[in-house]
This record gives sequence, C-alpha cells and structure tokens, in this order.
Amino acid sequence: MHVGPPNRSRWLAVEILPHEPALRAWLTAKRLPGVEVEDIIQDTYSVLVDLEAVDHITHPKTYMFRTAYSLAVNQLRRQRIVAIEMVAEIDAISPPDETPSVERQVADRQELRRVAEAIADLKGRTREIFILRKIEGMSQREVAKRLGVTEGVVEKQVAKGLETLVRLFGRGKKTSHTSKTQDAKIAAPAVESEISKRS
Amino acid sequence: MSVRENHIEIDRAAALWASRIDRGLNSGEATALEAWKAADTRRNGALARALAVMDQLDRAQALGTNYDPQAFRPPANINRRAALWGGGALAASVAAAIGVGLSTRPAYYVARKGQVRLISLADGSVVTLNSASKVAVRYSEGARDVTLLEGEALFDVAKNPDRPFTVYSGDARVRAVGTSFTVRRLADRPTQVVVREGVVEVSRPAARTRMGGKPQNPTAVRLVANEMATADAASTAVETVALSPVDLQQQLAWKDGMIAFKRTRLSDAAAEFARYSDTPILVDPAVADRTITGLFSAYNPAEFAQSAALSLDLTAQRDGAAVRLTP
Repeated sequence: MHVGPPNRSRWLAVEILPHEPALRAWLTAKRLPGVEVEDIIQDTYSVLVDLEAVDHITHPKTYMFRTAYSLAVNQLRRQRIVAIEMVAEIDAISPPDETPSVERQVADRQELRRVAEAIADLKGRTREIFILRKIEGMSQREVAKRLGVTEGVVEKQVAKGLETLVRLFGRGKKTSHTSKTQDAKIAAPAVESEISKRS
Repeated sequence: MSVRENHIEIDRAAALWASRIDRGLNSGEATALEAWKAADTRRNGALARALAVMDQLDRAQALGTNYDPQAFRPPANINRRAALWGGGALAASVAAAIGVGLSTRPAYYVARKGQVRLISLADGSVVTLNSASKVAVRYSEGARDVTLLEGEALFDVAKNPDRPFTVYSGDARVRAVGTSFTVRRLADRPTQVVVREGVVEVSRPAARTRMGGKPQNPTAVRLVANEMATADAASTAVETVALSPVDLQQQLAWKDGMIAFKRTRLSDAAAEFARYSDTPILVDPAVADRTITGLFSAYNPAEFAQSAALSLDLTAQRDGAAVRLTP
C-alpha cells in the first residue's frame, strides 16, 4: 500500500529519478551561495509529488530543473542575495536535451540489469534480507521467520538497502562492475509482461 | 537547542518510512507519517524519492527476475563471495530463493495483490503468477516439482520426458507432459486446472472421473487442450468440462490484466475483484444477484462499478476507500 497517488511514484521513478544526477551536477556547478544542493533536490521531489496532476508535463526533465532552480532562487532571495543574472536565467533555461526514449524492451532490460547490479552491490545481511523481501517478494513476517530475526530487523535492513539504492540511483554512481560484465543468468522473460497497478 | 536535520538524516528516516509503507502501515503509523512529513518539505520529497526507487524495484520484479547475483559480481571478489555465501544451510536457502539452484530446498516466488509476475525457470519453463499468488519450486535431478500454495498460475512447461513436471495444489497433483496449463487454488474453493495446450494428468488420492461416463484410470484423469478440471471439494472426484475457445480465453484473461465475466452475479464479480485490488466493491444485497457480462480491467474496480451501473441501471459511488453499487 503506498501513500499518495501510486502512479506518481511510477512517474517519478521513470521520468524524474534518472535525471537527478544531471540536476545535481547542474546545481552544483552554479555555486549558488548558501544554497544546499541536496536540500533543494529533496524539496524538488516534494513539489513534484504534491502536484495535482502531471499529465500535462511534456518535458519532465525541464520541469524538474525549473522547479529546482526556482527553489534555489527563492532561497537566495530569502537570504537577500539576488544577482540579476541569476534571476534572468530562470526564463532563459532552455530545455535540456530530452533524449528520445529507447525502444521499451531494451530500456526495461537495461533497467533490470541496473537494479540487479545495484542490489548485488549491497553487503551481507542487508543484501540477503533485501533480496528475499524485494526480489522474491516474501512478506516481512516470512523473511523474519526464515532468517530467525525480528520483523523490526527486517524492516530496518530493507530501509538500509533502500537508502543505498536511493543514493546510487540519485547519483548515477557506477556500480563495481565494468561494462564487460559477463552475461548474467537472467533468464529472459518469454513475453514482456509488466502489469503492476494499484487502485 | 535544536540543530536542523541534514539531508542524510532525512534520507535515512525516509527509507525507514518507505520500508514500513511497503509492509503496510497501521492507522497509528499513518498518522505519525503525516506529522513527520508535514514538519519539513525536504522530508516529503525524500520520501517521494524513496518510494520512487521502491517502485523501480517492483517494476524489476514484474519483468521477471530470476537472476543470479553471483554472475554480477566481479571475479576478483572471490573471498568476499565465499564469506557471504559460506553460511551453510542459510546460504543454500538464500541461494535457492534466488534461483541459483544450489540445493533442493524450495525457491519461493510470490506475486502480491495487484501484481502479475513472470518467472523463468532454469529449464526454460515459465511460470506466470497471477495477483496474490505464491508457489514453491523444487527442481531436482529427476523431477520438477512446484507447489501452488495459493492463488493462480499459468505454467508453460518445457518438454522433458526424463524430468516430469508436477504441480501440487491441495491434495491434487497435476502432471505435465510438455504443455501450457493453469492451476487455481483459492481459499475455500476447489483446485481448478485449465489446459491451454498439450496434455496433463490430474490425480487425487483416489480420483474418479465424472464426465459422460468415459472410462478412465481410476487414479488419474487426463486433460487435454480446452478442458477444465475441478477437484471437487466434497469428494475425491475430478470433474472435467470442455471449454469453448472463448471460455478458454476468459479463463486466461488475467494474464493481460483483465477479468471476464459471463452472466456472473455482481457479488461474485466483486469477490473476484478483491483478488486484484484493495479497493472493495460493496454490492447492495438488493442487487447482489444481478448478473454482468463483459471484459474488464482487473485493476480498476471503480471503472467496473461504473460500467455495471451503466448497463444495469444502478448507482455507483465512492464510499471512503470503497466503491458502492446500489439500486
């Protein structure tokens, strides 16, 4: 059960999260005094998740950048630091290059691989628990029973793993794998099937 | 004197909340969550991001991961890998759970409510899990055994006469001979098997057949394409019926996220939707026996209620978290 419109998480995951590394780099390069880049990014997600609707947004990346930039400028204004060039720049933000979406199946495989690699990078107990819970889809109770730990431990380990993954995806960090990863034993789905909606 | 939270602390707390949300909040926690979020917009945003990543994981699950994390590890990390997997029985069961097949312990696969999941098994067989279903897979040298613990699954079995593929559901056993078939096991309902292609053998402790008096092996019933078998709850009989191609498609509609109804009572239809969604459809007793026919999106109970209201001249309205159908 998710809080807020469940499709919003999907939209954020697909249309916003992949651009976070670029946003971070862009904001950092601006060197705005007294502006904490990480705070701005968290606040940007807050604005995006609270939007009434997102169907009208044709260029999510641009929207994300503009939102972040407005938040940053607001922060500057609150500090009474206003540089004329900066204010003018908001209107002059040209949409960053929106690359056309890769053919769906290829994109999904890449994403699958990315998730798998990220999880493989987790360590020890966190990884075990994370795999049982989030890959095998066992309930918290089942995992606790299986490993002989409390549900609280399972909950915290999932959180720990998630925290690492959030950092990984948000920063586009390379995993510890080279591009010549040996062909993983991902048994390719016979049919591309993704039906996962919640009412 | 309070120090303002930094973004790392916020992300940590957000991850914990996301983990809790994932296993379901109780109402006390839900209230606490709103208060936590409201205190700082950064918290709201951090949680949104954590839930988005969680969503990525669910998507990856839906694409069917039967991956071997060993294959993703750089070869140089042999020692770390050994340390990680060295734990004997625990290692074996975890490895089996992710399909490495190190031992004959069962590997569990679960599809949660609202999820359809495709599992590719090592021999090329494919299991498609319907919403709210759970199977335990145990492959060994001479046998491929799957136990349907609950729910419904479609099995596309790779042909291998030397290694029989058997699905266990309650006291029923379904043996496949290179086929495509579904097994359904819902609470308080008899096991149901539908064959799409090929032949299966359905047996029960002492099965008898009841279909047009055709003589059958008393312990097993053969089922061919377009046939459906039900393991009668009151006895050990296996009842078979032939399905029209349309009926067959309707039985498999869930694969495409749809539900088919054919003169189905509204209360039964509502119960069917409950398998796929947490939004209940409350049917007024006065109209419970009205019937509906059609093909509907399994994950949109509100849409179904509106369609039913339209075609049966009823009223559909939201009632809190539920949807209500009244005269």
